[in-house]
Amino acid sequence: MTIEIRDISKSYGQNQILRNIDLKINSGELVALLGPSGSGKTTLLRVIAGIEQADAGSGPVLFDNVDVSDVDLGKRRIGFVFQHYALFKHLNVFENVAFGLRAKPRRERPNEAHIREKVQSLLDLIQLGNMAQRFPSQLSGGQRQRVALARALAVEPRVLLLDEPFGALDATVRRELRRWLRRLHDTIHVTTIFVTHDQEEALEVSDRVAVMNGGRIEQYGPPQEVYEKPASAFVFKFLGNYNLFQGRGQGAGGEALVRPHDIVIHRDADAAGEGAQPGVVAHIGFGGPVVKVELETSDKSRVDVEVTAPTFRDLDLKRGERVFFALRTQQEYAHDFVI
Amino acid sequence: MAGAPIAKTVLTSARPAPPAHPAVRATLIVLAVSFLTIFILLPLINVFVQAFAKGWEGYLAVFWPPSPPEGATLTAVQTRKLAEAAVQTSRTWSAIGLTLQVAAIVVPLNIVFGLAAAWATTKFQFRGRALLLSLIDLPFSVSPVVAGLVFVLLLGRNGIFGDWATHLTWPDPFSLRWVGFENGFPLAFARDFTGVIFTPLAIVLASIFVTFPFVARSLTPLMESQGAEEELAALSLGASGWRTFWKITVPNVKWALLYGVILCTARAFGEFGAVSVVSGHVDVNDTMPLRIEKLWNEYNNQAAFTVASVLALLAVFTLIAKTAIEWKTARDLQQQHQGQAQ
Repeated sequence: MTIEIRDISKSYGQNQILRNIDLKINSGELVALLGPSGSGKTTLLRVIAGIEQADAGSGPVLFDNVDVSDVDLGKRRIGFVFQHYALFKHLNVFENVAFGLRAKPRRERPNEAHIREKVQSLLDLIQLGNMAQRFPSQLSGGQRQRVALARALAVEPRVLLLDEPFGALDATVRRELRRWLRRLHDTIHVTTIFVTHDQEEALEVSDRVAVMNGGRIEQYGPPQEVYEKPASAFVFKFLGNYNLFQGRGQGAGGEALVRPHDIVIHRDADAAGEGAQPGVVAHIGFGGPVVKVELETSDKSRVDVEVTAPTFRDLDLKRGERVFFALRTQQEYAHDFVI
Repeated sequence: MAGAPIAKTVLTSARPAPPAHPAVRATLIVLAVSFLTIFILLPLINVFVQAFAKGWEGYLAVFWPPSPPEGATLTAVQTRKLAEAAVQTSRTWSAIGLTLQVAAIVVPLNIVFGLAAAWATTKFQFRGRALLLSLIDLPFSVSPVVAGLVFVLLLGRNGIFGDWATHLTWPDPFSLRWVGFENGFPLAFARDFTGVIFTPLAIVLASIFVTFPFVARSLTPLMESQGAEEELAALSLGASGWRTFWKITVPNVKWALLYGVILCTARAFGEFGAVSVVSGHVDVNDTMPLRIEKLWNEYNNQAAFTVASVLALLAVFTLIAKTAIEWKTARDLQQQHQGQAQ
């Protein structure tokens, strides 16, 4: 199912959370809403779900080109997964997943045998087939999140909306679960939007990423495009580590941003080529495959450089040594002026 | 059973107490225990001692007057005494009946009000929410006598709505009788009341006023901590609002609700001040606490203590039920925390 939203704004009192958002999601796509806290990503998700109403004067929310702005949460046929799972504490895993099926109006409600079959197949899908009788309190965080997902899928939603689905889990489980989500999406192909503040997660899992800031979408595109051609300084900064060079290049007063891995270190000035600058190795941080080198320039500012472990071995750098560094690529942006 | 604010059960941590001088600890324990003994335990025991001053027979005679031995000829004095005893016991029973009836009306209303108030203040954000929260607490801080007087000043003969209230006719809901199909509808009220103040309706109103916070206050902290996500999840799965309420909200708050209901019932049974003001001291308007006072004023100490012992037993039962629920909710919470820690 395609989702399209046009000119959506949302404020709480004086506080404007969403500013004229437009977004179009193709059928079967997995889209990440990525942004820092307070950027409006969760609010946007809740507006799409129907939990929040957009401000008067906003455009429509279209599901398959049908306006659902005035359709109730329960009638939009969405599957919503909350950050803290919101599992029904007093019901076991089976009954949690079966809830949506049992809540259907009598005419549409499947019979008990059908419900059992359906719930069991969903539990097998989330690899919790043998935990049907457990209560949420007896499950781990990752298991709870999977139950929440199965519960949402049980009613065969037209779209799956996930609010920081892995936000409350520890790093290992997160990585495991997001690959699992990607595989799950590849099997069931339901249009999915998920909210996250973790750029790695968004880039790894999604087909397209919408980077949000201050209630606006700064950039919307495939992960590679967003990462390699950030549309704004904000997107550049939000997607990874960076070095900031003030007023370089043509645009005086602008800023040039360079990723630490886009800086090359040389031992002699000739090899470094034109435009190379001198620097002193101030600190070396070993991080496994990548080594982080901190250089101090002549004007006492610090430059972060990331070199691969083999390169580092060849360079054989020591603290206090004088080296030269050159920028492989750089992105220049005009200053953001805050009014 | 006074209007003490309800403290929520908090998980007692297993952390060891800070070191204290043994003498300090001993003094504090002795102080606390002796205070409790002197001011609570001894008076409570005294209630039962006085109630059984004339033995089991005397205790039971307060409720069931002794019948004269078969075929015995009674003197005029004896006959009068027996008749008097019969009147007294019937008044006691009427007080017990009215107390139960009032509670039967007040407690369900309280559940509805309490759920609505707790729901409104915890699941929604709106202007005046803080004011509403403190209004809910108001009956805890207002003297019950004032609460009773408020109703007299509003609905009494010279009250603001006095004209309307004194001419109001309303049926006694407990007088609903089966009258057959001759007159159409088969149920009818056998008894009507006119006016509000000095009738059981005023007692119900006053009791609602003083008991209102109990259910709302026992639900609010729990509902606040639970938030609205489970309800939203149920709604997003297509459940109706009604189904969401019964299948998700109520099961989540059932123990807190029961806790509030028990406290509310205890207070409804035991309320004296507010009820005393609006009852008009008419015998038919006596609830158990009012009956106890009258028996005491009539120098019928043993009967007064006997009725009081019934209330005291109720209080003890309330205490046991309350403790059991607190223990149960603490255990549930602990399980939840352990679950989350996994």
